[in-house]
Amino acid sequence: MVLTDLQPGKKAIITNLSLMNEKLKQRLIDMGVHEGEEVCLKCTMPFGGPVMVEVSGQCICLRRKEAACIGVE
Amino acid sequence: MSQIALFGNPNTGKTSLFNNLTGSYEYVGNWSGVTVEKKVGILRNQKARVVDLPGIYSLHPLSRDEGVATDFLLTEPFSAILNIVDASQLKRNLHLTIQLLEFGKPLVIALNMIDVAERHGMKIDINKISECFHVPVIPVVARSGKGVEELVDVMTAPQQYEQRFTLSYGEAIEAAIEKIVCCLPEPNGISKRWLALQFLEGNERVCEYLQGQIDMKPLVSIREMVEENIRLIQPTGSIRQSIHHIREMFIADVLKQTITIAREKAYTWTEKIDAIVTNKYLGIPIFLLFMYIMFMLTFDWLGSPLADLLDQFFSGPLTNMLSRLLSALGASVFLKELILNGIVAGVGGVLVFVPQIFILFLFISFLEDSGYMARVAMVMDRLMESIGLNGKAFIPMIIGFGCNVPGVMAARTIEQPRERLLTILLLPLMSCSARLPVYALFVGAFFKSHQALVVFSLYILGIVVALLLAKLFSTTLLKNEHSVFVIELPPYRMPQLLTLWRSTWDKGKGFVRKAGTFIFGGSVAIWLLSYVGPGGLNVSMDDSFLAAIGGVLAPILAPLGFGTWQAGASLITGFLAKEVVVSTMNIIYHAKDADTLQGLMAHYFTPLSAFSFMAFVLLYVPCLATVATIRKETASNKWMFFSIGYALCIAYIIAFSIYEGGKLLGFS
Repeated sequence: MVLTDLQPGKKAIITNLSLMNEKLKQRLIDMGVHEGEEVCLKCTMPFGGPVMVEVSGQCICLRRKEAACIGVE
Repeated sequence: MSQIALFGNPNTGKTSLFNNLTGSYEYVGNWSGVTVEKKVGILRNQKARVVDLPGIYSLHPLSRDEGVATDFLLTEPFSAILNIVDASQLKRNLHLTIQLLEFGKPLVIALNMIDVAERHGMKIDINKISECFHVPVIPVVARSGKGVEELVDVMTAPQQYEQRFTLSYGEAIEAAIEKIVCCLPEPNGISKRWLALQFLEGNERVCEYLQGQIDMKPLVSIREMVEENIRLIQPTGSIRQSIHHIREMFIADVLKQTITIAREKAYTWTEKIDAIVTNKYLGIPIFLLFMYIMFMLTFDWLGSPLADLLDQFFSGPLTNMLSRLLSALGASVFLKELILNGIVAGVGGVLVFVPQIFILFLFISFLEDSGYMARVAMVMDRLMESIGLNGKAFIPMIIGFGCNVPGVMAARTIEQPRERLLTILLLPLMSCSARLPVYALFVGAFFKSHQALVVFSLYILGIVVALLLAKLFSTTLLKNEHSVFVIELPPYRMPQLLTLWRSTWDKGKGFVRKAGTFIFGGSVAIWLLSYVGPGGLNVSMDDSFLAAIGGVLAPILAPLGFGTWQAGASLITGFLAKEVVVSTMNIIYHAKDADTLQGLMAHYFTPLSAFSFMAFVLLYVPCLATVATIRKETASNKWMFFSIGYALCIAYIIAFSIYEGGKLLGFS
C-alpha cells in the first residue's frame, strides 16, 4: 500500500522510501520522515494537487505523485 | 572580536533570537527560508559578534540558502556555535545538533519554544539534555527575549566548555573514518573526524572543499569499500542511512531520558484553521478573497482617503508655507521654481502614496508572520506544477508584491537551480509597491468608480503573464529537470503587534528612503532637463531637452496609445525606480496636486490609453535595483539582459493588444 491510498485522517507506518527521488528523499529524511515513523494523511488538494501529511507532530506538504512513492502499512 | 555562529533548523526562531541578542532588527516570519543570507550583529554586551545564518535541516545543502550556512562553517573563522533548537521538534532538530557538535567547536544550545512543547503535553528535563551532550543548554523564548541575558553570559563566559561529544558509528564506519583522517591535510580549525564523516555521508560541499586540497582518489575508494560492506549486510542500505540510523538511535535514547509525555496532544487550533483554509474546495477561493480584501483596503476603503488627506496637506499648507519661507529668505526665482515645481512636486507626488503602501506591507507582513504563507504555496502548487514551477515559487512572488528585490533573493529557497532561475526571471512581473503610485494616479483620474477592481486586474495581469511565460520558458529555454516540491507547514501564530509593525516599517522605510534619494535626485534632474533646452534657460517645456529626449520614443509608443514626449520621458526615468514615473508627470504637467494633475492628464490620455500605459509600466524593464539583484543572484550578465529584453518585448506586445484590441471593441 502507498501513502496516497490512505483515507484522509487515517494513520499508517512508513515502510519504504527507496522508490523516491534522491534529493527529495534526503529532504524528507532531514525533516524526520523515515521508515518506521507513523504518518497521518491530513488532506489532499483538488485536481491531483499536493497532499498534507503529519509526521511526528509536524505538517509537511508534498506532491501526490511523490507521496505515491512512499510505501506504508 | 570573536565571532559566534547561529545555527538551527528552519523556522525555529533564529532571527528572532538574533534580534534579541544584538538589539537589532532583522526581518522575521513564520515560514521556512526567511533568512537567505548571513547577517552580522554585535552582542548587547559588546563582547562578540553574532552571525545569523539561513536555517538548515542538515549540513548537506540542497538549496542555495542552505549552501550559505555550510560554506560559512567551512571557510569563515568563528569561535563558538550557538545552536537554537525547537523544543517541540527535538527529534528532528537534534540531528543537526549532533553534526554541529562533531564539528568540534564549543557549542551552546538555546532551547526555544518550550511553551509550545508544553502545550503539546511534553515535559522536558533540560539538565538531562545538557548531560547527554556535555554542553550548556539554556531555555529561551526567542520572540520575547526571555532567557537571552543568561544565554549571553554563558556564551561570553571566559572558561568555555571543553567540547567532548563523540558518537561511535560502528566498526566499519569508524575504521573508514580513521583511514580518511590519515589522508587529510594538517588541521586548520576544522575537525578531521567531522570532515571524514561528512565526506562519507556524501556532503557535496565538503567534497568540493577537500578537492581543492588533496587527491580524492584514495578517499573515494575507501568510501566505496564501506558502501559495499554495508550492502553485503543490508541490500538496500547505504553509509548515509547507517549514519543517520545511529544518530536516530542516540537521539531516541536521549529523548527517552529527558521527555515525559504528560498528556496526549490536544486538537490544536492550527488544525482547526487548516481544516478551513486548506480545504479541498475552499483553499483557492479563500486565498483570492484575502487578496481581494487587501486591495479593497489599500485602494478603496482605507488607503485612498488617507492618501487624499496627505495630498491636500502637501499641495495646500506645505506648499504655501515653503513658498512664503522662500520669499522671506529672498530666494531667487530659479531656486523657488526648483524647490516648488521640482522637488515638492516630484518627491511629494510620490510620498502621497505612503499610506497605501504601508497598508499593503502590513498585509504582506501578516501573511508572513501568521504561517499562512506556506499554506499559500501548498494551495497554489497544482497550478504552478502545470507551468513547470512549484508552489514554493509563489512565496517570492508574494514578497515581490512588496518589492521585487527581496523577492528575487527569496527565490534562493527553491531547490532546483532551473526553477530558481525561472522564478527570478519572472519575478519583476509581480507588481511591486513602487508601481502602485502610478496606478493610484491613473485610476484616480480615469476609473474613479472602479479603482480597486482596475488595480486588481493589473496585479492579475502581471501574474497571468508570469505564469504563461513560465510555461513558455520551461518548455523551451529552461527545460526543467525533475521538479520537486516539499514544504513544512508551521503552526499558526497570532502575529504580535510589535513584530507586525516593525516588519511593515522595515519594508516601508525603503520606500521612504527611496523618496529621499533616487526620487529626490531624479526629480531635480528631470526638472532641470525640463527647465533648460537647446534655446537656453527657462524655455517652454515643449522646447526643453526633456521633450527632445522623450520625443525620440513618442513615435514608437504611438501604437500603444500614448505617443507623447511626456509619456516617453517618464518611462525612461522610470527605470531608476518606477515611482519616478509619477514624479516626472507631476513635474512635466506642472501640477500643484494630484487632483489638478489628474484633470490635466485627461487631455493626453483616454481611459483606454491610460490602461494600456499602466500595463506597460507594470511589465516593462525591472527597476535599476532589481536588475542589479538579478545580476548578483544569477551571476550572469546574459540573464540580466534577458530579463530586461523579454520584459520590454512583452510589455510592448501586451500594451499594443490592449490598446488596438480595445479600440476594435469600441472602447476609447
